[in-house]
Amino acid sequence: MSSIGTGYDLSASQFSPDGRVFQVEYAQKAVENSGTAVALRGKDGVVFAVEKLVTSKLYEAGANRRIFNIDTHIGMAVAGLLADSRQIVETARTEASNYRAEYGGNIPVKYLADRVAMYKHAYTLYSAVRPFGCSVALGSYDEIDGPQLFMVDPSGVSFGYLGCAMGKARQAAKTEMEKLKLKDMTCMELLKEAAKIIYVVHDEVKDKHFELELGWVGAVTQGRHQKVPQDVYAEVERYAKSALEDDSDSGNDDM
Amino acid sequence: MASTKVVNIPKGGFSFENCQRNNFMAKQGFPAPKAVKTGTTIAGFIFKDGVILGADTRATEGNIVADKNCFKLHYMAPNIYCAGAGTAADLEMTTLQMSSQLELHRLNTGRQVKVATATRLLKQMLFRYQGHIGAALVLGGIDSSGPHVCCIYPHGSTDSLPFVAMGSGSLAAMAFLESGWKPDMELAEAKVLMRNAICGGIFNDLMSGSHVDLCIITREKAEMIRPFEVANVKGERQGSYRYPLGCTATLSTRVIPIEIESTVVRPVAEESMDTA
Amino acid sequence: MACMMSNMSTLDALSPDWLTSEHSTGTSIMAVEFDGGVVIGADSRTSTGAYVANRVTDKLTKITNHIYCCRSGSAADTQAIADIVNYHLEFHEVQLGEAPLVKTAASVFQELCYNYRDQLTAGIICAGWDRRHGGQVFNIPLGGMCVRQPFAIGGSGSTYVFGFVDSNFKQGMNQDECVQFVLKTLALAMSRDGSSGGVVRLGIITEDGIERRTVLGNELPRFYEG
Repeated sequence: MSSIGTGYDLSASQFSPDGRVFQVEYAQKAVENSGTAVALRGKDGVVFAVEKLVTSKLYEAGANRRIFNIDTHIGMAVAGLLADSRQIVETARTEASNYRAEYGGNIPVKYLADRVAMYKHAYTLYSAVRPFGCSVALGSYDEIDGPQLFMVDPSGVSFGYLGCAMGKARQAAKTEMEKLKLKDMTCMELLKEAAKIIYVVHDEVKDKHFELELGWVGAVTQGRHQKVPQDVYAEVERYAKSALEDDSDSGNDDM
Repeated sequence: MASTKVVNIPKGGFSFENCQRNNFMAKQGFPAPKAVKTGTTIAGFIFKDGVILGADTRATEGNIVADKNCFKLHYMAPNIYCAGAGTAADLEMTTLQMSSQLELHRLNTGRQVKVATATRLLKQMLFRYQGHIGAALVLGGIDSSGPHVCCIYPHGSTDSLPFVAMGSGSLAAMAFLESGWKPDMELAEAKVLMRNAICGGIFNDLMSGSHVDLCIITREKAEMIRPFEVANVKGERQGSYRYPLGCTATLSTRVIPIEIESTVVRPVAEESMDTA
Repeated sequence: MACMMSNMSTLDALSPDWLTSEHSTGTSIMAVEFDGGVVIGADSRTSTGAYVANRVTDKLTKITNHIYCCRSGSAADTQAIADIVNYHLEFHEVQLGEAPLVKTAASVFQELCYNYRDQLTAGIICAGWDRRHGGQVFNIPLGGMCVRQPFAIGGSGSTYVFGFVDSNFKQGMNQDECVQFVLKTLALAMSRDGSSGGVVRLGIITEDGIERRTVLGNELPRFYEG
């Protein structure tokens, strides 16, 4: 890394001579070490799927979730340092709650994404703080605006997406997403594809165990963000696993 | 060693620091003296070329006429003037403060200030003081959006209207305006109507009196006419009450000469110049 | 002392109530929801004690293009509140990138009216149209409560016409029926309430914005006049 030893990477408040802020780039690297998370936006909802790496067999099943409820109508999937992510979740929840108290309605997810982005960006400006080592995807659905999906990275930019991926295998995940006609897909179809992507991009060699985590918000959930119910989860997981086997079978055939 | 001296810069604006003391004194039987409250007739309306403001010139202090020829038309900006009714001190301070704020605003923006800006500034300040600043204003001016006349009440409410009257004589003045005002009046007509309206106040309201002052604001200039009309000419003494010489008859005359007993001359020592 | 007293009383006689009392909109205001919008209406009288300070007041105050409020109570208070809410919502509109909801405006009104309930005299009806919920009427009376109603009346004149509105309101009236309903109600209120009067100002807010109408005093519907 060209930055090491030059002294320009010690503080978020200083540019390097070629106009970069290394601390922010390191924070982005921290996100890349995390398990993959994808979020897909279809025609009637948004789904989240997370590859939650299980680093110890002593953990309870379902511990350290990485998909959160921000408000009834907004879900958030995170990638990167979990502690940093939780602070962002807290900030977003406070923001949503304040909005409800002040304006008596649901916070528009675009507005929330902007606020979260502003918050994160503030941490890229001062020498006394370090940037957040996490990216977050925010998704929501309502009848008027339809499904909406935003991602905020450690530098504090926020974009709207049809599909976004964060973490280790985000490149591979994006390649998989591009094969899909996301705009025409229902929540159920999205869920299956999202799960499949997580299974496909999972690196069996480096990371042995992982838990698939699924969340959705759409017409099926009456615009509420929820953890996917047991029966749906089972069906989706079965689909993902069998698709993976089919893929590897056909892969073998080609060979 | 850093100096512990603190430079005391006096704060601008209104001071309420004596309120507690005054309350205490009032309880002890020393009521605060009444502020000069100008029972007033002021009015303003839009005419063909701009805006005309009018005011009487009496200032009262209870039953006493405190000033027979006071000035109730205040400068706000080159294109905005206002007539004030209420507590004289509050009016003076309020208009001074606003005119300086408006001038700063004009310099900052490099544009002629709008009447709406002056109105906003005034209403927000008066609202902040919850009616404790006894200033009732008729604000008139001309700007890029045309002529405007606006009433501002002490509590901070405003009314934008084509013709308005305020103060204790407003009923009398309004009677003239309601019957005589029409859109697009010529300047000469407007002056007569305003004179009549203010004279209505002067002659029918006890708290208003003396003369009529006018201010005419057009696109080109603002003109102050003071006095526009001396409605109450000071009466002249009709006869002479001096006794002519020789009214008293001299019965006898006696002259007593002053006798000088001694004369003393004292030299005055010359004071040396202070060269210290 | 007696002299002082008599002096004081002459002073009091010299300064009548309209000189000192607060400027207030003793008022009749109203708003009705219909499918696709709202109709709002108000009389035009502003009084100070017994004096009519403004006979052509506009008590229908714009908050955003699609949200208006009807003001009753102290003129200074309601103008200040409306200005603050207007500022708040214009800022909010820029941040949001879309027109604010009527509920949002009502919430901001409520926040101010409730927090400063001891210092304010403001009865406000906030009404408008938004693309989410269509025409809506929110009533924010004196204490700072906020409640959505199919129609709302307010101000001193409203007390005379509660019976009328209850007996004449029908669910699902169209725009013209609502306009007539508002006009009749306000005309009745203005004829019974001394501090309401003048002209009737109407506003019809739909997706296309507001349509303003003024019904002059001599054009108002007439009822029993004895």
